[in-house]
This record gives sequence, C-alpha cells and structure tokens, in this order.
Amino acid sequence: MIAKTEIVESTKQSLDVPVIQLKSVSKSFGNNSVLRDFTFDLKKGENVVVLGKSGSGKSVLIKCIIGLIKPDTGTINVLGKNIPELSNEELDRIRAKVGFLFQSNALYDSMSVRENLEFPLRRHKAKMTKPQIDELVVEALTNVGLAHTIDMRTSELSGGMKKRIALARTLILKPEIILYDEPTTGLDPITGKEISKLMRELAKTYNTSSIIISHDLNCVKIVADSIVMLIEGKCYAQAKYEELERSTDKKIQEFFI
Amino acid sequence: MLPRIFTTFLSETGDIARFAGRFFKEAFKPRYEFAEFLRQCFFIGYKSLPLVAITAFIMGLVITIQSRPTLVEFGAEAWLPKMVSVSLVREIAPVITALICAGKIGSGIGAELGSMKVTEQIDAMEVSGTNPFKYLVATRIMAATLTIPILAVLADSVSLYGGYLGANIRGVVSWDLYWNQVFDTLAFSDVIPSIIKTFFFGFAIGTIGCYKGYNSNKGTEGVGRSANSAVVISSLLVFVLDLLAVQIIDLLSLT
Repeated sequence: MIAKTEIVESTKQSLDVPVIQLKSVSKSFGNNSVLRDFTFDLKKGENVVVLGKSGSGKSVLIKCIIGLIKPDTGTINVLGKNIPELSNEELDRIRAKVGFLFQSNALYDSMSVRENLEFPLRRHKAKMTKPQIDELVVEALTNVGLAHTIDMRTSELSGGMKKRIALARTLILKPEIILYDEPTTGLDPITGKEISKLMRELAKTYNTSSIIISHDLNCVKIVADSIVMLIEGKCYAQAKYEELERSTDKKIQEFFI
Repeated sequence: MLPRIFTTFLSETGDIARFAGRFFKEAFKPRYEFAEFLRQCFFIGYKSLPLVAITAFIMGLVITIQSRPTLVEFGAEAWLPKMVSVSLVREIAPVITALICAGKIGSGIGAELGSMKVTEQIDAMEVSGTNPFKYLVATRIMAATLTIPILAVLADSVSLYGGYLGANIRGVVSWDLYWNQVFDTLAFSDVIPSIIKTFFFGFAIGTIGCYKGYNSNKGTEGVGRSANSAVVISSLLVFVLDLLAVQIIDLLSLT
C-alpha cells in the first residue's frame, strides 16, 4: 500500500535532520510587528509546543509555515523547500506532506463526514480508485474511534467528535508533519485530555513530527517533547516542560502559574 | 481632498473590478471544477425556479389587470396582449428575475462564503491542494451567469401565461388570439437584447455575492453584513446595468 511505503521511507531519514527550519522570520500587520527574527528548527519525529499569549503570533507562525501567509522577511524551509519562494503547484506538493488542524476544525458544512475526508484525497491523490479511497477513509475514522459517523453530516457531531474528524482528515494523507492550531480550545477538560492522548498516539502510529499551538497546559504536558516560548515575536526560550516550569524568569513563569 | 465616502466607493469599485478580473484569469484555466459547477447550477437555477415562476406569473397577471382600464378608456382593449407582452418580455420579467435572484442567490452566496471564510474552511481548502477561488468563486459566478438567463426565459413564458389569465378576468380573449397577438408583436429585437442583458445581471449577482462573502471578516457579524451588502449592491447593479442596456439598445436602434 502507498501509505505504508511512505511511512517506511520516512523512518529511514535521520532523526536529527530538521524537517522545518525557520530563519529570521518577521511578519508585521501594519504597525503591529507580530514575528521578529523568529528562528527555530523542528527535527524529525519531534513534537514541539509553541506557547505564547493571545495575539502573540502563534497562529500566524504556523500559517506562514503552510504558506497561507507570506512572511515579510526570512526563510521557511519545510522538507527542504523554501515555502515563500514556491509556486502554487510546488506548494500543493509540499502541503500533501504537511497536515494542518485548524482551531475551528474547518470541516466543510455542506459535506458529510465521508466527503470531508475524501476531499483532500481526491485533490492530492487523483489516481486513487474508489475502493482505495474508501479503505483510507474507514482507516482514518477507525484510528480516531469514529468509524460509525461516516455518513453523518458535520452539523450532527459534537465539538469533540468534530475535532476527531478534523484530526482524521488531517491524517488521511499520512503527512510527515502536522501543524495543530489550538487543538483543545473549546473542549471540556476530559475531552481535551482524550484529544491530547490521541494526538500523542497518532504521532507514534504515523511517525509524524508536529508543531502544536496551545494554551492548555494539560495538553502541553501530554504532547510536548519540548516547548518554544513565543514572547515579543521571538523564540524567547526552548526547553522541556519541567525545565521551563522551574525557570525563575518572570516572563516564562507567567505561563506556569 | 475627496470626501471619505467617495474614496471608499472608488476603492471598493476597484477591488470588485480586480476580483472580476481574477475570475476571467482563473476560470478558464485547468483544473476545471465541473462537478461543483453543476452542483451550483442546481442550487442557483433549479432551486430558484419555483420562486421565479410564481413571481413572474403574478407580475404578468397584475400588469394585465392594471393596464386594462386605461386601454379600455381609449378604446384600445384589443391591444392589451401586444402592450403586455412587450413590457413583460423587454423589461419586467428579466428585471424581476434578476432582483429575485439578487435576493435569493446573492445573499445565499454571500452568507455561505462568508461563514466559510470566518470558520477557516477556505484556508482548509487551500491546504487541501484546492484553489478556493476556482472551486468556490469561479463555479458560482459561472453558474449564476448561465442559469439566470434560463430563469429569465422561463419567467417570460410564465408571465405571458399570467397575462393571458389576467386578460380573461374582465374580458374574453381566446387562447389562439392572445398568443397570435403576442408572437406578432414580439420581434427578435425585443427578445434577444433582453436575454443578453440577463447574462450581465447573472454575472453581476454572482460576482458581488462571491466578492462580499470571500472578503468577509469580523466574525459572524461580518457574515450578516456580507449577505446584506451582497443583496443591496447586486440589486442596485441590476438597475444600473438595465439602464445601460436600454441606452445601448437605443443607440443601436434595436427598439
């Protein structure tokens, strides 16, 4: 199967090779400078949480990585390609290898769960046959524990179910990298914890690297290998959860009180 | 210094023109979103059909009933089918169809794309390797441009039938006599320009609805505002285009 081959190939790569490299990335909106010389590496197999205040530019950061927003300066290398310089076709090829989980889930209201999951497959894997597509859809839904929702409308789903379906849609192309934009926002603590554990399990199953934007410290504890503190538009610190929790720096302490 | 309202108007007009230009640039290049185009034709055309038909029927009936007393006063009652058919086919049916569509389709597209924008569905589409402009905008503009003329032709027929019933409420006009008079009166120069202008009406309604929805912001409040302004601007544009069409037809001596 194509998907398994992809996973085996990706595991052959060295774990130290950065799959995402950001160098001196800056982005302003009018007079509001959101990112200032932001530099950061994400290594193969690593799960990094980006922690910062609301409006500090966390979502802008991952939208720059996926090419939805163009940075003013700096380079963003994703799987060896500089995103701001890519043509639309090249960008689409990279996007097939990078999953993005939106804060609002961004499930298509006009489509059923099945159609939502089929959509990226039909776009990126146009040569796939109907049985192959069906198999992948069922597999992705089974992995998030919602195979029974396949023919439901997205409006019939609860918040937690929508998040799981969005996660299944993100994973259906077996991406090498996943970008999560506040995956537990708006969920109750129990569902939030379930989603965090699911993210951790799926990262192992699919052998992905990920950047997770989150305010939820319970989620951070479960999913993070390391944490990047985004303060005043810069990568203020990067360390493990326990190290940052013990930090005496006031700017870091604010997040752990 | 120009007043702020004037500069805003010019800026918005420029943005809409650029948006329309992008449609021509992107719509005719592969990949073609044919399935989505057909789906939109169904929603825009087929789903609007009952509303357009009922409105056209009532307009035909009302225009005939209201015109009759004046014609009777001048002893010209026999001219009723002629007068009604020209006014319905040239002006009333196309404009009423366009206004109904501006209300139904314009607001629908504005609200749908607006809510997709604020819930990041458009971004999700882009991330999924789909050009959202082609998939969402180009298909809707094309569907509106092609289906509104069909609805207008249907509205012409239904309104003329309404006119026949209206003529028979107070007087007696046989089926054959009514339709003979209608077809004797109507020339290609009445029918063709009125159909041609509905393509422009459809294009304007689709473009404004998509422009407002696609550029929606400020959350759910912005979605409501997009839907509302899509209806207001596209309705106004229908009248402006109608005025231009009448002038052009007059200049070309087609009347």
